[in-house]
Amino acid sequence: MHKRSPSERIAQLFIHLILFAFAVCCIYPFIVTFMVSLSSEKSILFNGYQLIPEQFSTLAYRMVFQNQFIYTGYGVSILVTVVGTLLSLFICGMAGYAMSIQRVRYRNVVAMFFYLPMIFNAGTLPWYLVCTQFLHLQNTVWALIVPLLVSPFNVFLMRNYFATVPASLVESAEIDGCGVMKTFVKIIIPLSKPIIATVALFIGLMYWNDWSSALWFIDNTHLYPLQYMLYRIKSIMDFVRQNGAMGGTDMPAATFQVATLFVTIGPIVLLYPFVQRYFVKGIMVGAVKG
Amino acid sequence: MKSIETSVRPAAGKKRNAFMVEMKRNYPYYLMMVPAALIMFVFSYLPMPGMIVAFQDFNFVDKFKSPFVGWDNFKFFFTSSYAYRTTFNTIFINLNYLVWTTFVSVLFAILLNEIRSKLATKFYQNMMFLPYFFSAVVVGKLVTDIVFSDQNGIANQIIHLFGHEPIVWSQVSGPWGWIIIGTHIWKTAGYSSIIYLASIAGIDDHLYEAASLDGATRWQQIRTITLPMLTPVIIIMTLLSIGGMLRGDFDTIYSIVGDNGLLFAHTDVIDTYIFRAIKQAADFGPTAAVGLYQSVVGFILVFGSNALVKRYNKDSALF
Repeated sequence: MHKRSPSERIAQLFIHLILFAFAVCCIYPFIVTFMVSLSSEKSILFNGYQLIPEQFSTLAYRMVFQNQFIYTGYGVSILVTVVGTLLSLFICGMAGYAMSIQRVRYRNVVAMFFYLPMIFNAGTLPWYLVCTQFLHLQNTVWALIVPLLVSPFNVFLMRNYFATVPASLVESAEIDGCGVMKTFVKIIIPLSKPIIATVALFIGLMYWNDWSSALWFIDNTHLYPLQYMLYRIKSIMDFVRQNGAMGGTDMPAATFQVATLFVTIGPIVLLYPFVQRYFVKGIMVGAVKG
Repeated sequence: MKSIETSVRPAAGKKRNAFMVEMKRNYPYYLMMVPAALIMFVFSYLPMPGMIVAFQDFNFVDKFKSPFVGWDNFKFFFTSSYAYRTTFNTIFINLNYLVWTTFVSVLFAILLNEIRSKLATKFYQNMMFLPYFFSAVVVGKLVTDIVFSDQNGIANQIIHLFGHEPIVWSQVSGPWGWIIIGTHIWKTAGYSSIIYLASIAGIDDHLYEAASLDGATRWQQIRTITLPMLTPVIIIMTLLSIGGMLRGDFDTIYSIVGDNGLLFAHTDVIDTYIFRAIKQAADFGPTAAVGLYQSVVGFILVFGSNALVKRYNKDSALF
């Protein structure tokens, strides 16, 4: 380690300042959101959004948790995320594995079949017609799961990883009488835990954050996933108001919205410290691939 | 003549035979590809014949047998003011996404790499990466209800601090193109700086050692080693994203703007236009025409940029 010159120290200070400023920009809105959700409606009306509210109140949260839609929203989102992630992982993993085996002769033809839609696709309307007129997905929970099941990128990511598993391992397993499927489940999957964990997290995040599937296909409020419920928060608020559960006009509209926002991002904020490094790893794997 | 025929036939027979042998030998592997291939087929290939709607006056009774109208749907779109507006906004927003995200994330990657304290690097990285984890809806609500809200928003508070009149954001479309671009950078800068940071970590340390022995300052090292070594990655990332130039960022834009028509002038992109045309106007013929236009231009862009990538670095080409 060489000695630091004064100019270098000033440079370091500037670098820290720039990065710190951006880091603050990244989390400031969330902190404000949290504080606003804890303030009373009155102090917002008088003072606007404040970092430290004049008057604390948990009324908004009490209301959010009285609202049935937050529970159905959570239920739908958890169901879609769990089922979607497991199914997608299994389907893409199988295809990726089969394509990684050298002696499968037409694996590149199949790879081409997966590539082509990335180059040319039919456009939104024909896709929408297939989903609604042919598959009749509208207002079913499958509309939130099936269209997102296969992403060619994930298939290729896993294929590339599986291809690094020594072929001799697969061959010796098969000589010992292990079937293809059994080799995949008992040998390949345990060997590939890092890539599977990373891809699972990316798929899980995609399902959890997806809202446009609901925008396209779901009208039934009981099938609203959490994100779509948040998108429709104003109409849901009108519904709650009409039902008069909280004494009609006294409803804290501004804080109610913000509290709902914070309740929907809660799980992500809680999970973030634990999963963050897997995502970083995943991005690097993807980046190396190009 | 006869000799040619006889020489062709066995070859063809052999080919079919080879296919059957391959299937017999490796059918379990092909079966494993079937579920993914089937879903791919249904959602990506099955819609392709549906493009014919672009040339039809679609109605739900005749469906795909609706009367043909030639190029009328295209004429309808391209003679409307929407064609120019949505195409311009799509390309304008995407170009700015590309330029600014690249600039900001390369800058942050270099700065993060310069920091001595590993703990500080981790801290900044974690903070910057956080917005990437939130859905477009959450980001949209933060933008419209917390930062750029008409009454209590952070932006208006800052404007007030400088003694100016607050802006009624929901009624002026001018700033929203830039707000969307800023939101995108805010959301993805942490994510893409990780990619560049990984490439910087891959640069051979000997280069820096040799440079500092020769008396090069850090700034000179960045200019003459880091940046040139990053250039291939930057070029490839740029070329790859050119293929998506005509695909609007629907999730972010629609969750911010929604159906607020006052803001369309600077925010309406092809994908939001298509969404409204399908869900609100049920205007299927022209919508299919817009989609076809988007796909064909997208195809040309992907093909062109891939050819460039191939010329530049064969390994990074998409196909």
